Amino acid sequence: MLGSVNDEATTVVADLEAGIGTLTRLGAAAVDATVVVVEPTLRSIDVALRAVAVADEQRQGRVVVVANKVSDGEDRARIEEAFGDRVLAVVPDDPAVDTADRLGVSPVDHEPSAPAVAALEGLVDVLGLEAQ
Amino acid sequence: MADSTVMIRVAFVGKGGAGKSTIAGTFARLLARGGEPVLALDSDPMPGMPYSLGVAVDDCPIPDDVVVPGPEGGPRWVLRPELDAAAMIERYAATCPDGVRYLQFGNLWGHVVRLQQAQHAWSQVVSELDRDRWHVVGDLPGGTRQAMFGWAKYADTVCLVVEPTVKSLHTAKRLFGVTGARWGPSRLVLVVNKARSDSDVDRVCERLELPAAAAVAYDEAASRGDRRGAAPLDEAPDGPLARSVEGLVAHVQSLYSSI
Repeated sequence: MLGSVNDEATTVVADLEAGIGTLTRLGAAAVDATVVVVEPTLRSIDVALRAVAVADEQRQGRVVVVANKVSDGEDRARIEEAFGDRVLAVVPDDPAVDTADRLGVSPVDHEPSAPAVAALEGLVDVLGLEAQ
Repeated sequence: MADSTVMIRVAFVGKGGAGKSTIAGTFARLLARGGEPVLALDSDPMPGMPYSLGVAVDDCPIPDDVVVPGPEGGPRWVLRPELDAAAMIERYAATCPDGVRYLQFGNLWGHVVRLQQAQHAWSQVVSELDRDRWHVVGDLPGGTRQAMFGWAKYADTVCLVVEPTVKSLHTAKRLFGVTGARWGPSRLVLVVNKARSDSDVDRVCERLELPAAAAVAYDEAASRGDRRGAAPLDEAPDGPLARSVEGLVAHVQSLYSSI
């Protein structure tokens, strides 16, 4: 399906299933950028390292990392230690996101000014600028 | 062994991130603490359950040479003739804290094909397992795919782990379909995880029209341990997570003692 979208004017954002299964089946160079989302737990970092390796091997554009549910400097350091300058956004552990999840609404609609939403605005800016 | 010879065969399913691996590993260890023989089965090709069991991640626990090409019209790979399920467990199931034995086919770094032989070996062990020898606690990857395709057919009880979020509830409703599958389990047990309050639990039960066998409260100490890869039972042995899973173990045991 991704291959059939070749409209230059359309930005495609694909949400893949957890793990690396879909990533291994995407086919080489299917996307312009791969955003790997990681929580500050050892098991999440382990899986994300695998995802980064597969995305690199499959040449899935620029492979960047979003650190999610970050509570403190220690969390951030743990992720930056594993992924270095691939980390393009740090999303704080934000109760507004939990509440939005419970309500079944987008965090952007629930609380547009939430810190987690602001952190992702930064990511959009970075990826958007690079695409130009 | 406890009050019966009926062995528990339970698999944990749910949406990714719902807490299946954490609860399944903790469940296995607590069950084993009573002196029961417990085999933990992991069919998730991403590492999760080893962390909650307190055992190291091993990407290639089952070597390729345990299998030979299968017969015409049969499985692609079968165990070498001199190997059976008992021998495979003895050799390749890791020994974990509390005496749990842990069998997985391995974890992926890339191509799925790499694990095919180990996966066939794992599946044959599971299907030929001596059901009177082990309590079985299984952990499936998040989502519906493996559950629907019969990867948990060793289980007669399925624990559905649900967070009080709309996304998790949505997946849970789809997973109800496993009870109608050909291999379908005879019992579906609801576990509400990451509940902040009683109203979270009530909402999940109401939406799914099922009573909760356990409500696992948020455990700050276990969560801190999770960041370092520490098992909940090692990090917070008396915390809310451990206590809730203790209750779940007792509940599941009661389902079997009444058989």
